[in-house]
Amino acid sequence: MAARDEKDRRKEKERRNPVAPGGPSLLAANPPAAPAILPPPRHVYRWDLDKTYLKTEFDTFKQLLRSALEGAEAKQAVPGASALLREVRAGGGARICFISGSPRQMRRVLTKKLKLDGVEFDEFILKPNLRNMLTGRFRAMREQVGYKLPALLAGRAGLPAETRETCFGDDAEADGFIYSLYGDIIAGRVKRRLLEEILERAGTYEDDAQRAVTLAEALPTSEAVQRIFIHLDRRSPTSRFDRYGARLVPVFNYFQAAMVMHEDGQLSAPAVVRVALEMVDRFGYTIDALRNSLQDLLRRGRLHRATARTLADELTDDKVPQLGALPSARELLISFAARVRQLGDVPSMSIPLEAPIDYLAALEADLPRKGKKRTDIAPPVR
Amino acid sequence: MGGDHAPEEIVKGVAMLSLESPHIQTLLVGDGEKLATLLAKERHDPERIAVHHAAEAVAMWEKPSAALAEHPGASILVAAQLVADGAADALVSAGNTGASVLACARTWKRINGVNRAALASVYPTEIRRGEKDDPFSLILDVGATLDVTAEDLVTFAIMGSAYAARVSKNPRPRVALLSNGAEAGKGPPEIVEAHKLLQTATELNFVGNIEGVDIPRGTADVVVCSGFVGNVVIKMLEGVSETIVRLGKYASKEKILWRAGLALLSGGISRLKEVTDWEQYGGAPVLGFDRLFIKAHGRSHARAITNAAKVAAKAVQAGLSDDIETALRSFAARRAA
Repeated sequence: MAARDEKDRRKEKERRNPVAPGGPSLLAANPPAAPAILPPPRHVYRWDLDKTYLKTEFDTFKQLLRSALEGAEAKQAVPGASALLREVRAGGGARICFISGSPRQMRRVLTKKLKLDGVEFDEFILKPNLRNMLTGRFRAMREQVGYKLPALLAGRAGLPAETRETCFGDDAEADGFIYSLYGDIIAGRVKRRLLEEILERAGTYEDDAQRAVTLAEALPTSEAVQRIFIHLDRRSPTSRFDRYGARLVPVFNYFQAAMVMHEDGQLSAPAVVRVALEMVDRFGYTIDALRNSLQDLLRRGRLHRATARTLADELTDDKVPQLGALPSARELLISFAARVRQLGDVPSMSIPLEAPIDYLAALEADLPRKGKKRTDIAPPVR
Repeated sequence: MGGDHAPEEIVKGVAMLSLESPHIQTLLVGDGEKLATLLAKERHDPERIAVHHAAEAVAMWEKPSAALAEHPGASILVAAQLVADGAADALVSAGNTGASVLACARTWKRINGVNRAALASVYPTEIRRGEKDDPFSLILDVGATLDVTAEDLVTFAIMGSAYAARVSKNPRPRVALLSNGAEAGKGPPEIVEAHKLLQTATELNFVGNIEGVDIPRGTADVVVCSGFVGNVVIKMLEGVSETIVRLGKYASKEKILWRAGLALLSGGISRLKEVTDWEQYGGAPVLGFDRLFIKAHGRSHARAITNAAKVAAKAVQAGLSDDIETALRSFAARRAA
């Protein structure tokens, strides 16, 4: 009986103050106990969840309801996302943080899903939607800048200036805008007055805005955010993101992200191969689809030709180890390498110029707002 | 990459295709940098699209033979060669028709039993056909072969029938010869001879000769004629359609009452336009080669390009070339017997 009481008390405590495995939520109602002292991470990977890690549809109320009620087993990851996260983790020195607009009540099912996929994480921030509703902060239930930006800045606090970051988001909401702003705040390119104006125009509540400004001013200046990946769940035109410069790479799948990360020195060639293999093995990707994805990156000037060639050269008969669950994994990789070599020299378009981002214009163009019609967000036909 | 609205509308069409038909892989042949820039502006799925760079292109106004000699790296030649090499299963182009057919003739083989290729076209008719209620009949040849023999006309009939059966899902398409009278003995010698052969040596649903007036009525699903006659017919039909539209506009300016009448009919006219819109059909095939070429209209916009590619994919999946070859073998055997 006593054991049962203890279990119930623990459950109740968890319900009131949910803590993710591996780390507490920064937006938790009560401050968590001090964590054990660990060496600072070399690299932080920040991931959005819906449409970035998870294949989620919530364009209609029915889809929203289904997404909220379905169990962990029914949820589907975006092809290659879990493999990419596992590879990042296996590389060592990585801190993995999820930040999602899903309500905190979904923590258990989402945590279970990540566990099922073999994805370890250090931080899992969910939106306090129930609290927002009960306190009449209805705008905050929809608004993303006032939620994500302070959470990101709080996550950055305490990290050494040399810790680099890679952020993953999608094209459904304002991830490109928020991550770019976050990176430029840390780099000292967004001054207090501009930040205040951005937050005001984004419709952020005053206390959230104040918190963001305070956190921003406390951070040491650093070019911390190295890379931003935007998963084009809605297949948005890639040119939509040109305004954010070369740091932000729109990707159609995680093989593309893995290739860019390989070029950035964040993933080894075998790790890229394992991401590709998961996409083939578990999600039915064809060699043609992978080859076309690679060519797309080359065409867009987001990958150097030498990187693709080097990877293809790595995948020769004598160099390819026995990999993956597929019996024909070796043949598949060798065939893929042959297709990559046959790609030919397709000229690349020029990559977006490195210029200061006009955040006020970007805010106007990129943030979904009531009554504002966006032409590029029709759901993809798959 | 040719066409009146190329490359913008071609790229838009391919982008739409990549989202609508994930089973179709497209290989875009043209100026790589321009194509990449245009693709970046469109919603698309790059997993279904590859680009092959070709620096040159044949303009719509150029003479086919001279243009191909002058531009050995022209996108149409490169694309035809890629199809010949097996990099793609079919070719779709909205560019210069003559240069396209010539490029195919230079790089592809003819199907066994085919002496001359035929360029087909579609025309909206009163009567619909097939399980899809298709309003379009097929007319061939409309310009690939000007001088034809009776045997060529029979070959065109066999190829057109196979295409209509597969693409329009019309299992027994009505095949007719275009002549100056319905009687079997009417027309030039090759028509008379072809009539006899079609009746005795093929298993086609041959309905005899038809006159020009029967084309818009839809008396036949496949109309067979020489390239010379077909080209004159198809251009005249296009001219009549354009004249009717112009007359309608003229009438609307003449009297307020007529304008009101046209306004009342506008819903019906729009519906009719929608049903008979050639952009819905996409393109028409060049038949007779071991590979398939779908010629989209030079004025094609994105929707027509998407549909032309879907037609090409459908014909390839249905094994059209095999069907034609089998029917031609059967014709040869029956004729020999």
